Amino acid sequence: MSTSVLIELLAASVRIATPLLLVALGGVLSENAGTFAVGLEGMMLMGAFGGAVSTFVLKNVVAGLVASVICGAAIAAVVAVATAKFRADQMVTGLAVNILAFGLTSFLLRGLFGGRAPVIALPTLGPLAVPYLSRVPIAGQVLFQQPALTYAAFLLTIPIHFFLFKTRAGLTLRAVGENPVAAFSVGTNPVSVRMAATIAGGGLAGVGGAVLSLQEIGTFTDGMTNGRGFIALAAIIVGRWMPFRVMLGCLLFGAASAIALNIQDWGLPVSSYIIQMTPYLIALAVLCGVGRATRMPAAIGKPFTRS
Amino acid sequence: MFASKPKGAEPVTAFDKAAPSAEYPWSLLSGPKVWRTVLAPALAVALAFAVTALPIAISGKNPVLAYWALLRGAVGSIDAIAFALNKSTPYVLAGVGVAMCFRSKVINIGSEGQIAVGGVAASWIALSFSYLPSPILIVTALLAAGVAGAVWAGIAAVIRLKRGVHEVLGTLMLNFVGTLFVSEVLHGPMGEIGAGFPQSPLFSQAAWLPSLFPGANLHMGIAVAVVAVFVCHLLLWHTPFGFRLRVLGSSRNAAAYAGVSFARAVLEVMLIAGALAGTAGGIEVLGVHYRLIQGFSQGFGFNAVAIALLAGLNPIAVLPAGLFFGFLEAGALSMQREMGVPSSLVFVIQGLTMVFVLCSMGIGLKQQRV
Repeated sequence: MSTSVLIELLAASVRIATPLLLVALGGVLSENAGTFAVGLEGMMLMGAFGGAVSTFVLKNVVAGLVASVICGAAIAAVVAVATAKFRADQMVTGLAVNILAFGLTSFLLRGLFGGRAPVIALPTLGPLAVPYLSRVPIAGQVLFQQPALTYAAFLLTIPIHFFLFKTRAGLTLRAVGENPVAAFSVGTNPVSVRMAATIAGGGLAGVGGAVLSLQEIGTFTDGMTNGRGFIALAAIIVGRWMPFRVMLGCLLFGAASAIALNIQDWGLPVSSYIIQMTPYLIALAVLCGVGRATRMPAAIGKPFTRS
Repeated sequence: MFASKPKGAEPVTAFDKAAPSAEYPWSLLSGPKVWRTVLAPALAVALAFAVTALPIAISGKNPVLAYWALLRGAVGSIDAIAFALNKSTPYVLAGVGVAMCFRSKVINIGSEGQIAVGGVAASWIALSFSYLPSPILIVTALLAAGVAGAVWAGIAAVIRLKRGVHEVLGTLMLNFVGTLFVSEVLHGPMGEIGAGFPQSPLFSQAAWLPSLFPGANLHMGIAVAVVAVFVCHLLLWHTPFGFRLRVLGSSRNAAAYAGVSFARAVLEVMLIAGALAGTAGGIEVLGVHYRLIQGFSQGFGFNAVAIALLAGLNPIAVLPAGLFFGFLEAGALSMQREMGVPSSLVFVIQGLTMVFVLCSMGIGLKQQRV
């Protein structure tokens, strides 16, 4: 493998990891507050839809991004109300909103634009070279010749880490995920915190979807997220619920996708489907305790009720 | 001790009151029975239809006419009914397995992967041993499908018991591995050369599931599903095994106190559910497609969970719930043809029904402590 191919592969990994990272960061917020983020796929799909449709209709990418946040958060709000208020099972509610988002986006796409499979074509957001840094050999080509939203996503990891681990609000959020009764006893309302965290996470996942539809693909098609929400979920597990490690997990899975895409060109002796299995197998291995022990937020999945 | 005493509902409740389980939000043993079994699911379905009227109206169609077309499409002709029954078959089979798991609070959401590997196993038998006489070939293929599904579910059960990986995450991840495995074999050893779509060659006719009635396009699968439903009903309510599952489901503490082995019950119920889902996958390839097709199991796993919950985790009730989903999907296709209302509407209805069912189950939890 020559250097140029390797650089291309690494750059593609970073690009492919971008939507995963935004979605996974959304999931980190939700899961640290104690709500399993199985609905990420649906939030991402809804965000991809909102982003693509709004950008297409309003001819404005910023409006598209705002719409993607709203759409992702709307699906998350369904999860938040059902799980925090009505104590519905989080896993299954997540599955339910995934199917809901799939149906709603596919239905509205046809309902709004007519026809059996309407096409809304959009110009994708091109790469934006960072002055000076992009000329650094190798690292410059891999990291600093990326589209704008890629920089935004990776930079966002820093404030989210800071928020979760260095602020009072972040501590409260994690406390609710660890022990909602204790948090309640010191005056926090775990139901509100969980709802806020889930909805904020949904907004982020929505932007992740918009990155996919606006920056990578340039249109919206039925079920276009194609399991990426679940790969993000696997990245959260691999990253042990911590933003920077989750970022590394996303890069790893981005690389797996990049390899799977190019496998035929390079004539590697494995099939692309085996490579596509790796994120799930790695997540399972991590869960099984390969490497260090995994510790999920203690109260994840358990509804809060006042005793 | 209790394990050997079938049909003992009172001890369960007694233990339940003494040591309420707070682990999972399934409280099927509380609340008035009519509300739980009939009114709540019916209300959830009605609400889902009502809310779904909104996107229909947004798309500029009349919701009442759309629903009328859906109803006519679902039950309007013999062909439509046969189509819907065929569609319901895998849902009922996988759904009844999921219901058994959820009863014992084993949250198996892995039907999709189990159906996928079941389909691969049945296809492998159908393609490799096509010289066998038809009944033997079909039974062997379905058995292989069941075994494959059970193995797939068994993996999740074993890593749950040995490594403490929650079965929700295990089965979820194995779903993706299972569906990708279908793609893998279709691009490798089992693929049809020169086909435009990833699929296996057509099975020989000996492997096709026979029709239930001559002339009707209805395969035997639905009969298998009905038998499975009744067997599971008997297992759950009239055997020591079912009693163990119910004790485990009502309170893990009570189960431990009564000497019910958690590990053994989890393994058994997962193997049963996996075998049922695997068989569903086998029936789908032998009865509907007559070949293995990439993505044939798409969405089945979700539907199985949805149906089990809609049925209140009651094996007998899985039958109407599964038929409801099958008829809904069949009706939606015809609604799309007649009214131009996209059939993806059905996913909106299914998703909303689920959310409402889950909320109604959660409301029943008010009494429970954290």
